[in-house]
Amino acid sequence: MPFQEAIAIAVASVRANKLRSVLTILGVVIGIASVIAVVAITDGLDRYMADKVLALGTKSFTIQKFPDVIVSFDQFREFNKRKDLVLRDVDLVREACTLCSEVGGLLVTGRTVKYGSLRQEGAQIMGITENFARIGAIRDLLTGRHLINDDIDSARPVAVIGTDIVEALFPTAEPLGKEVIIDGNRLRVVGVAERKGKVFGQSQDNFIWTPITAFRKSFGSRRSVTIQAEARSMAVFEQAQDQARLALRNRRHLEYSQPDDFNIETGESVMDLWNSATQGIYVVTIVVTGISLLVGGVVVMNIMLVSVTERIKEIGVRKALGARRRDIQRQFIVESVLLTGIGGILGVLLATLFSFAVGKLMSGVVGDEFTAPVQLWAVAAAVVSSTVVGLVAGIYPASRAAALDPVVALRSE
Amino acid sequence: MTETSAASSIIRCVDLWRTYQMGEETIHALRGVSFEIQPNEYLAIMGPSGSGKSTLMNLIGCLDTPSKGEYYLRNQLVSKMSDDALAEVRNKDIGFVFQTFNLLPRATALENVELPLVYAGIPKAKRMERAREALDRVELGTRMSHKPNELSGGQRQRVAIARALVMGPAILLADEPTGNLDSTTGEEIMRLFARLHEAGNTIILVTHERDIAEHAHRVVLIRDGKIASDEMSRKAS
Repeated sequence: MPFQEAIAIAVASVRANKLRSVLTILGVVIGIASVIAVVAITDGLDRYMADKVLALGTKSFTIQKFPDVIVSFDQFREFNKRKDLVLRDVDLVREACTLCSEVGGLLVTGRTVKYGSLRQEGAQIMGITENFARIGAIRDLLTGRHLINDDIDSARPVAVIGTDIVEALFPTAEPLGKEVIIDGNRLRVVGVAERKGKVFGQSQDNFIWTPITAFRKSFGSRRSVTIQAEARSMAVFEQAQDQARLALRNRRHLEYSQPDDFNIETGESVMDLWNSATQGIYVVTIVVTGISLLVGGVVVMNIMLVSVTERIKEIGVRKALGARRRDIQRQFIVESVLLTGIGGILGVLLATLFSFAVGKLMSGVVGDEFTAPVQLWAVAAAVVSSTVVGLVAGIYPASRAAALDPVVALRSE
Repeated sequence: MTETSAASSIIRCVDLWRTYQMGEETIHALRGVSFEIQPNEYLAIMGPSGSGKSTLMNLIGCLDTPSKGEYYLRNQLVSKMSDDALAEVRNKDIGFVFQTFNLLPRATALENVELPLVYAGIPKAKRMERAREALDRVELGTRMSHKPNELSGGQRQRVAIARALVMGPAILLADEPTGNLDSTTGEEIMRLFARLHEAGNTIILVTHERDIAEHAHRVVLIRDGKIASDEMSRKAS
C-alpha cells in the first residue's frame, strides 16, 4: 500500500473523531508548546539581559561590601561583619590601579525630594565623585553642567537631577538654579541628565546626583562606599581588578589563605548568575516537557488501542481484501504519528501566540522593547520529538492490529 | 478423476483437516475434506451451522490455513504459505462477498471498490478507472459517490460484489450473500451471480438455505466436518 493511502486513511480517521483526536493530543500540544515558549522567553530574556547589563559597561567593575546577590539572612549576617569601604579606599584603589582609567566612589539612598508643594517619592539620592558619568555607560546631560572636582572637594550642596525629578518637581518651571529639599537639606540644581528609560520596569531617571562629600554630611557618613572603576581596555580588565583587589587586601592585611572581605562585581558576574539561573530553567523545562510528552504518549497509545479495538472488523475486511500485516501496521502508525504531529504543530502555534503575548506583556512591564521570538531549533526539536512520541506510542497498538487473525477479526461485531 | 482434470482444476483440496484447541478439548471442525472445483463452476457449499462449512470457507478463502492436508489454488500450494503470501492470494485470486456486506462506512462506493486495488499497489487514476468499470458491471455506475448508508441493502451488496470482482479473481466466494436481504432483493442478487457465472466467473456460494443453494449447479453438503454429498443440482442439466 502506498504511503499516501495510509495518510489518507489516517486523515479520514482523525477527522471522523475530531473531539477525541483533539483531547488525545492535548498532552502533546501542551508539552510542545511549553518547551518552545519557555525556550523563546528565556532566550528573549537572555538577549535583553545581555543588552541591558552589558550596556552598563563591559569594562567597568564595582567593589562592594556586600555581593549583588545574597540568598539568606545568615549570609547577610556574615557579610555584615565585613569592614565598611571608606573614601580613603577609593583614593587607595585610584593610586594602585594603574590599569584603571577611572576610579570613583558612590553612596546611594532613597529619599523623598521636595520643591515647593511638589514632591517626588523614592528618588535615588546618589553621592558621587566627579567621574561618575564617565564610568560604565556614559551619561550625558540635557542642560546645565556636570559635577566638578571643586564641588566634591568643597562639598557643595549642588545636584544633577534625572528627568523623572524634572517632570515631578518642575513641570513648568526651569529647574536650573532652583533648590530642591531632601530631608531639610537644600541642593541647588546645576544640571539635568539625559533620559535612559526603564530597565526591568525600573526607571533609570528617578535620581539626584550630589557630591559624595555633601551626601555624607547630609545623609550620614556611616555607610560603606561602593568603589566604581573602569579598566583602560577589555584586555586588561582582569588585571585591573587584580590591582584593585591586591591594594585592598594589603591595606586590610589579609593573609594569603584568607578570602577577600569585599566583593568585586562586574557585568559579567551578573551575566554568569543569570546564565546559571536560565540553565536551571532549561533543565526544569526539559524534565517537565519530557514528563508531559511521556504522559501525552501514553494517552495517544491508549487511544490508538481503542481505535484498533473499534476497527477490528474493518481490519478483518482489509485483510480479506489483501492487506498485509505491514499495511495494517503502517496504517495505525501513520495515524498515531499524524495525531502527535498535529499536536506538535498546534503546540508550535500555541507557543508562538504565547511568546508573542508574553513579549507584549513584558514590553509593558520593563518599559521598552522586549521580544521573545520562537526559536527555529526549538520548533525542529518539537516536531522531531512529537513524531518520535507518535511512533513509539503507535508501534504497540499497530502491531496488535497487524497480528489480528482475519477470521477472528471478521467475526467480531 | 483424471490427471488432466487435476491440472486444470482451479481449486484442489486434499484431505483437509482443521482442529481447534478449546482449553483441554480438541475440536475437529474439518475431518479430511477432499474435492476439486473446475473453472467457471457455480458451486454451493451447504450445511447446518456447526457443520464446518464456515471453516471450509475460511480455508478456501485463504483466511485460515489447514491443520493438515493440502490446498491448491490455481495449482499453487497455498496451505503452507506465509501470512504475506496469503494476503496477496486473497488480494488477487479471491473475491469475498459477505453476508453483512462489510463495506467501510466512511468510504464512498467507489472508494470501497478501490480498496483491493489499493493493496495491489495500483496507482490512483488506474484504480478509479477499474473501480468504475466494476461498478458498471453491477449496474451501480450512477451511485459511485454514495456512502453505504445512502444505499439500499441490495445496492450495498452489489457494491460488495463489484469490490470482489475488481481484481479479476479466480473465484468469487460468497458467504450467505442474501442472508441480510429481503427475498426480492435476494433474488436480484442471485440473478446477478447467474449473470457473472455466464460471463465466465467461478462462483462458490456458502449457505444454509436450500433454495439459495439450488441456484448453483453443484451442491456440496458438509456435515460433521466431512463431505456428506457432492452432486449436480437440477440447474446443471
